[in-house]
Amino acid sequence: MNSLIKLELTRALRNRKFLFFSVIYPSVLFLIIAGNADSTAQVPGTGLTLPTYMMVSMASFGALTAVLMGNSERIAKEREGGWVRQLRLTTLPGRGYVLAKTASAAVVSLPSLVIVFVIAAAVKDVRLDAWQWLALTGAIWAGSLVFAALGVAIGYLASGDAVRPITMITYFGLSLLGGLWMPTTTFPAWLQDIAKWLPTHAYAALGQAIEQSRAPHVQDVAVLVVSFALFAGGAAWLYRKDTLKA
Amino acid sequence: MTTTASVVAFDQVSKAYDAVRAVDALTLALRPGETVALLGPNGAGKSTALDLLLGLKKPDSGTVRLFGTGPREAIVAGRVGAMLQSGGLMDGVTVAELVRLACALHPKPYRPSEVLARAGIAQLADRRVDKLSGGQAQRVRFALATAGESDLIVLDEPTTGMDVTTRQAFWATMREQAGQGRTVLFATHYLEEADAAADRVLVLHRGRLLADGTAAEIKARAGARRISFDLEGAIDRPALRALPFLTALDVSGRTVRIRSSDADATVHALYGLGVYPRNLEVAGLGLEQAFVALTTAEEAKSR
Repeated sequence: MNSLIKLELTRALRNRKFLFFSVIYPSVLFLIIAGNADSTAQVPGTGLTLPTYMMVSMASFGALTAVLMGNSERIAKEREGGWVRQLRLTTLPGRGYVLAKTASAAVVSLPSLVIVFVIAAAVKDVRLDAWQWLALTGAIWAGSLVFAALGVAIGYLASGDAVRPITMITYFGLSLLGGLWMPTTTFPAWLQDIAKWLPTHAYAALGQAIEQSRAPHVQDVAVLVVSFALFAGGAAWLYRKDTLKA
Repeated sequence: MTTTASVVAFDQVSKAYDAVRAVDALTLALRPGETVALLGPNGAGKSTALDLLLGLKKPDSGTVRLFGTGPREAIVAGRVGAMLQSGGLMDGVTVAELVRLACALHPKPYRPSEVLARAGIAQLADRRVDKLSGGQAQRVRFALATAGESDLIVLDEPTTGMDVTTRQAFWATMREQAGQGRTVLFATHYLEEADAAADRVLVLHRGRLLADGTAAEIKARAGARRISFDLEGAIDRPALRALPFLTALDVSGRTVRIRSSDADATVHALYGLGVYPRNLEVAGLGLEQAFVALTTAEEAKSR
């Protein structure tokens, strides 16, 4: 299975468009949004400066892009093209394909979020304790698994033609409504009520709690855990259904 | 009936899609070292039979055993290499990378360079998989199927998209594989291909095994050639019917149509009758017609 992970990675690193969007783009977006902001301007109700706040949002966004965008489309296309069938004629265990996809996405998502941190620290003077940097990296990286599972589920749910629009709608919807592009505090109240139940909102809130040196809200952790169970369960169910059909 | 000595054993295997019986109570056994053609027109159930054989589909009833175990166990043990018609390739990687993956996943792998050379794609090693022609992609699939020392090689319409030269080179490689004691099973809808490459031909029609024998036997049973001509004057039917190797006779007006399992001998004897056939034509019987001939014979027998 390591050989498949390695090959998936080789392929991901060769795909410049994918690398740009998952590794560079979040940092660029961070600079656009936080670039002109006063480094001391605070996001209301958080006690965090705008660059500090947006750093977590964009790191989360980058990890989301890396784990969601590539996999759902590849899985749907490779299912349709018969590569998944061909792999079933090898010794690779059934789960191996999905695990290799997830593992390679995780490898790409790590530099994506680290680069956002480096840029935020270097350009916008974001300063945190060492433990906070480490915890942020760990939490955002681990939390991206929730969306990796979602990507796999979409890949098994959608046909090759439908997968791109479905992924795009999910991706932009979750990013925007979850407050990854702008603080949800700028939303009207009714939209804020919806946003706080989205896994992306909980995901970024986890990082912000670390920046605020406090324990995360129980609700955010619960939303992430339930989302993961739903997405992973759905992916497993769809995977089994697909295997019987293939 | 089902013995562990069989490489492949189907016992009363059935698979239906909605109301259509794709494979219908199929029972067969392949012995070690055989090269077997699974012959049938499109829709005969060949691909479904191979999917069942490889464990990609579960039979509705009956059992499929490979080397005395289930298909998945045999694959995990590295005893089966397969090339599917519907088998896709991974995009965005090179041919060599893909072959290295196949070798890495095989319990008894060959060296990737050997596999590439044997499949005749060494010169394509650095080509991206998504940039291959149909015939080249077929050879890459073949390379994936022969990445290791498998005892059984299964090929679903392997020469689709190959030109004549490639096709010949391909069968030469296959014969080499079979010569090393491997069992080779391939599906095809070309009678000539089955004839040229297989020791044994299984004819599948509507999911049932219609015939099982050497290619020569199958062709003979199907009445492999069609002879037609016009006759002046009175037509002596009994004399025509007595022609050697004749399997069917049809007279309409002055036109006579004959099916023969040995057209040369039949035509020779025809001239021996002292008649003067005009507009004589001898044509190969298409496989479709061969099937009609076989099924008609089959139905007549069961009546």
